[in-house]
Amino acid sequence: MIGPASRRWVLAGALALSAAPVWPQRLVVEGDVVHTMGPAGTLRPGVVLIDEGRIIEVGPVARVRVPRDWERLAAPVVTPGLIDAHSVVGLAGQYNVPADQDEDEPTDPNQADLRAIDGFNPAEPLLDYLLRFGVTVIQSGPGRMNPIGGQAGVFKTSGRTVEEMTLRFPSAVVFTLGEAPKAAYRPKDKPPATRMATAALIRRALAEARAYDEKRREAGEPAEEARKPPDRDLKKEALAAVVRGDVPALFTAHREDDILTALRIGREFGLKLLLDAATEGYLVRDEILNAGVPVIVHPTMQRLAGPETLNTTMENAALLAEVGIPIAIQSGFESYVPKTRVVTLEAAVAMANGLGPDRALAAITIDAARILGVDDRVGSLEPGKDGDVALFDGDPFEFTSHVQAVVMNGRVVARPEF
Amino acid sequence: MTDRGHRRSRGAGLRALRSPRSLGAALAAFLALGRVSAPQEPEAPLLALRGARVITIARGTLEEGTILVQGGKIVAVGASAEIEPPAGATVRDMRGRVIMPGIVDTHSHVGISPRPDVEAHADGNEATDPIQSGLRALDAIWPGDPGIRMAVAGGVTTANIMPGSANVMGGQTAYVKLRGKTIEEMLIHKEGVQGGMKMANGENPKRSHGPRGRAPATRMKVAALQRSIFIKAQDYVRAWETYERAVGEGKTGLQRPDRNLDLEPVVEILKGQRTVHFHTHRADDILTALRLADEFGFKIVLQHVSEGHLVAEEIARRNAPCSIIVTESPGGKLEAVQLRMDNAAALERAGVKVAFHSDDNVVNSRFLLREAALAVRAGMSEQGALRALTLHAAEMMDLADRIGSIEPGKDADLVVLSGPPFSVRTQVLETYIDGEQVFDRARPADRRFATGGFDVGERYPTLEGAP
Repeated sequence: MIGPASRRWVLAGALALSAAPVWPQRLVVEGDVVHTMGPAGTLRPGVVLIDEGRIIEVGPVARVRVPRDWERLAAPVVTPGLIDAHSVVGLAGQYNVPADQDEDEPTDPNQADLRAIDGFNPAEPLLDYLLRFGVTVIQSGPGRMNPIGGQAGVFKTSGRTVEEMTLRFPSAVVFTLGEAPKAAYRPKDKPPATRMATAALIRRALAEARAYDEKRREAGEPAEEARKPPDRDLKKEALAAVVRGDVPALFTAHREDDILTALRIGREFGLKLLLDAATEGYLVRDEILNAGVPVIVHPTMQRLAGPETLNTTMENAALLAEVGIPIAIQSGFESYVPKTRVVTLEAAVAMANGLGPDRALAAITIDAARILGVDDRVGSLEPGKDGDVALFDGDPFEFTSHVQAVVMNGRVVARPEF
Repeated sequence: MTDRGHRRSRGAGLRALRSPRSLGAALAAFLALGRVSAPQEPEAPLLALRGARVITIARGTLEEGTILVQGGKIVAVGASAEIEPPAGATVRDMRGRVIMPGIVDTHSHVGISPRPDVEAHADGNEATDPIQSGLRALDAIWPGDPGIRMAVAGGVTTANIMPGSANVMGGQTAYVKLRGKTIEEMLIHKEGVQGGMKMANGENPKRSHGPRGRAPATRMKVAALQRSIFIKAQDYVRAWETYERAVGEGKTGLQRPDRNLDLEPVVEILKGQRTVHFHTHRADDILTALRLADEFGFKIVLQHVSEGHLVAEEIARRNAPCSIIVTESPGGKLEAVQLRMDNAAALERAGVKVAFHSDDNVVNSRFLLREAALAVRAGMSEQGALRALTLHAAEMMDLADRIGSIEPGKDADLVVLSGPPFSVRTQVLETYIDGEQVFDRARPADRRFATGGFDVGERYPTLEGAP
């Protein structure tokens, strides 16, 4: 894990000039309705106190003593900062020209050593754009071109450096099955040109990583020539963490058989699996449930592009959640106009298609935080967590509602125009 | 409300009209507006949609209205208290529903870029030459595209199906109703000029041709190519006029000009019979399109107009209608980086006529209502957004005499909604085209075009308590 984003003192110079320490912001957030998504439940009305960038108290207005001199924000509806469980924003820029596209490295189908943090652009305007819809956290990483894409991270959507924006890295190594890798390599007359080769390539790499890991661990001490550890190999090192179960394996798969391939590989290597997209997941719900694998569901309004997305349904999230599969929702990847989707709107459409408001909100807050392993920091309004809050003038899911303000680490980072 | 089935009126509980047979006269008697055209076939079955909130667009909103449909046309619309369905009419109880005119999509690629998106289906862009005025979208539209049924499930009833934007002149567009097994059934104009002309400037034509070592590689060349085709068409007109004048003067032995299929549709543009639908994003490209329209006097609908908010006054001054797209985010290409959700509001404020389009599959047709909702979020009036989805769009296709509002005499193209048009919770329940129900969410096979999953058939699971 890279540096904590909160508990930052603002302006060291100011500290020197002022007698009292200057905290980022001491903030009172009041809502006619506060969806805490935590143990405090839904408060009507409720209040959240934020100090030193962290939430210190959450409760009903009647029971919380609100400091008079703190800055105060109020809105009809308050939620935790929203979480987009899979995006490529930060790596794929808004201009969509080679100069700002850093998500797909088309030179080798195994890119396990690539790290999102080495290409994530904190100044990318689309990060600021997502923030305006209440999105304060995204998982972003390599694209879907390669069977093994590289290492993703979970980032805040506002900050100066990737270090201060990182909540968790690596949050996953991303793998892709189905059409995308074939489409990338078949025209080059290189593997994988088929689904069989995609699976074989991944299995081979995982098997080699396991052997590498064992040899590294068995290496003698004191070092004997015969038990000399293998030279460091960054690809194998990244995949070793996956086969050990230290880092989740995020498998993007759309077609039902591709989903089952992901489960098969996960079982074979004992991976900590996350299913991504799972367009036809609703056709293999039992298999996913039995494997105990959470799903980061495709954008609800995902385009029907190639054959693997032909069976996209807006009810997929609801159909998966209905049987008890933990879900989050993602904005996915867009290769043209618009350059990104907005998870708030995708969750809204899932909400209206059977998921319902409670589960839909959980899918972009606390459930997403748990699936991404960052629920100690974000995902709900609870004392001790980061002061990340979204304020709405109405139902967060109505397209005609507005985000009035977004707070990150206790500071107002957006006051959107609309 | 669960009773959504057809219900025969028994007449007993209804105030029957005195003379139900002479329906035209009866309607004229109680309709103050008196513009009811008599049904063409008096014996045709009559459908009464009763009790819904009716958004007529042209004549306000009726809180509890009744619409009478016969022979594919709307024959009456008014407050339920004032309109009594005649005996023998099929009466549908629509209380709690909202009915609006069928959505008109001024820019779609359904049927011509069908699902799934594979090379075999790629018929939208003939990017082999930048001028393709001779091509007709109607020769490539596949009525079996599931995308058409999805569009209908989203309430779209009429579309302008266009070739893509790879070329400076991409081909002839087709104005269609989204029903029928053949393109002939779909076409609104069975003969003559059957649509508009697609033109494009900015990045797409450059990107489609420049890298292949042919023109255009710059915006300057895009405009030059476009101007040259119009000049050729002017010459072509003159050649024919000269020939016909000579023939009229009794001269013989004259060389008859050859018929030119690439120039004929351009001549139709010059004569004002064919509208140019001009794909354009950046502010300067928008002004270039208008400059060409001024030079050649053609009728233009600006399409996309992403930076319209930067030149709204200039667009308003020329009375150029704008068919725009509202997407979740900007970007994807440089000319779309300034694509803003408040573009519609800015254009509306400047007095520009605005319509929304899907550019399906850029936005799936099912989400046109959601697109308009985002425009409302960013400051457009609700009334303006509703008009943009219907009547303004119809006007941009010169079809406002037939579609775009719920008025007597117009085609019975209707959308039945479960609630307010711009709520994300609202579902399209039924769609009618020419009085025929073409979508019913209550039918599982239809429903799977609304939700998605149409291709999995019976394997589609039932969602408990699903809307």
